[in-house]
Amino acid sequence: MSLLQLLSTTFVQNAFYAVTAVSIAAGAVGYFVVLRRQAFAAHAIGHVGFAGAAGAVLLGLSPIVGLLVFCLGAGVLIGVGGAALDDRDAVVGVTLTAALGLGVLFISLYSGYANATYTILFGQILGVSNDDVLLVALLSLAVVVAVSLTYRPMLFVSVDAQSAESRGVSVRAMSLVFMALLALTTVVAIQVVGVLLVFSLLVAPAAAAEVLTNRPWPAMALSMGLALSSAWLGLLLGVWLGGPVSFWITALASSAYLYARVRAAIAARSQAAAHA
Amino acid sequence: MTTLAMKSGAVVLGGRTIWRDASFRIEPATVTAVLGPNGAGKSTLLRVILGLVPLSEGVLEVLGREPERGNRRVGYMAQSRYVDNLSSITGRDYVGLGYDGPRFGWRRDPKKADVVHQALMLTGTASFADQPLRTLSGGQRQRIALAHATVFRPELLLLDEPLAGLDLAAQAEIVDLINLIRDSTRAAVVVVAHDLNPLAPIVDEVLWVARRQIRSGPVSEVVNERVLSELYGHPIEIIVTPHGRRVIVGLEEEFAHPHPHGHDHTDELGHEHFAEFYEEEAQ
Repeated sequence: MSLLQLLSTTFVQNAFYAVTAVSIAAGAVGYFVVLRRQAFAAHAIGHVGFAGAAGAVLLGLSPIVGLLVFCLGAGVLIGVGGAALDDRDAVVGVTLTAALGLGVLFISLYSGYANATYTILFGQILGVSNDDVLLVALLSLAVVVAVSLTYRPMLFVSVDAQSAESRGVSVRAMSLVFMALLALTTVVAIQVVGVLLVFSLLVAPAAAAEVLTNRPWPAMALSMGLALSSAWLGLLLGVWLGGPVSFWITALASSAYLYARVRAAIAARSQAAAHA
Repeated sequence: MTTLAMKSGAVVLGGRTIWRDASFRIEPATVTAVLGPNGAGKSTLLRVILGLVPLSEGVLEVLGREPERGNRRVGYMAQSRYVDNLSSITGRDYVGLGYDGPRFGWRRDPKKADVVHQALMLTGTASFADQPLRTLSGGQRQRIALAHATVFRPELLLLDEPLAGLDLAAQAEIVDLINLIRDSTRAAVVVVAHDLNPLAPIVDEVLWVARRQIRSGPVSEVVNERVLSELYGHPIEIIVTPHGRRVIVGLEEEFAHPHPHGHDHTDELGHEHFAEFYEEEAQ
């Protein structure tokens, strides 16, 4: 089959729709993950998702059901516990490890082949069904709408929680909203790149964007653009050259971050030279 | 009209009395310094005024009403260590959050750019407002934070440790700016501070928070040997330098080793109890 023929197959087209939706949501939420320095929470929610997906497979359900239940549950737990206890890392760490333990148990109880596990961990974008695409698109749309509506108060509590609180913004509620959005985004991102590589869409593009620009709206737009281009190009390269799509997406997104840092370092050096 | 009036106010948090019998007034266009050891309840006082912590006894009127959360007529600047100083967002965007940060939704406010600009002009921050917070010096950041707090031209401005972590030159700059804001907006300014001296040139009144009490009055009536010795229950000496700075002798321990979790037997506020307290501490 030629590349063109490959690109017109249903499974590649489904993959294209899914990565498009996921990248936009992950790019938007990722900006706040980076701004709030909550990469660890994002990491943990992905791993909690692993337990949820494994549990759902064990019960004969669609993995996405398990992902939704577990990721949202963990998001609420971290959002409430972390904000109240001021001890976020410990709450996140314990949630993460408890869920991974459950995941191991579910996998050991599941008598089927290990392929399901592999899919959850590393993504199986080319196996996305029509139903999955619809669900992924709806969830992503919901996330993007919610982010754009809560954007200002979210930015406020992320930069200066005390001032935001004095102006009537509930820091706890915003923390909860953020974790819920992060959980939903993680669920959809896992469909594309798997549990272990969610950062490639959720953190790397946003981190690159945050280095490249200081203004919140442009940074968020750039973050979405970088996630989208990594995902599209990664999908194309995977189909064309072979190799896992999630590998290509991760490689591209990480390269974007590397590029941003090198560019910023060079700019800082030339500025220092100009002052000297 | 009086900006703020507290009558017999008391705060109890988690069963512990933070302070009680607090009565004082704050007038427009004055600067009030809130002094006292760490953990004595200075920030709690600000939170009470902001309507975030309720009084358990007494009455507080802020601008003629009960304190209410989110009142735009009250400006608040948090301690710098609670602000994300490594943020990539610019000073201008941070000041903008003071204007419409609490607002949900898509609607953009056409007046925002102008209001933010006014706040930047008032605080002299326009020249570096488009730099990310993380590239600003401590003094520049505090000026931006003052712009953030004054964006609505509040009638009452609460500043929590605005001088903390600044070198002497930057402290003097911020003190001048606070004075300028007071003069040009006629706001009543309440400044929580560690040290009276840098603020002394502009301070009208002092609230001294210690030992579950708040003493208030003009500087000379509160920061004197008799009042502080009585408040702490042991002799305090105050040396005034030729340039008018006050060196307080006898409180070094207090400021070096704060006791945020006080002892219950100081409840009755009797001098004998303070004596006991100190003996116990000495062991």
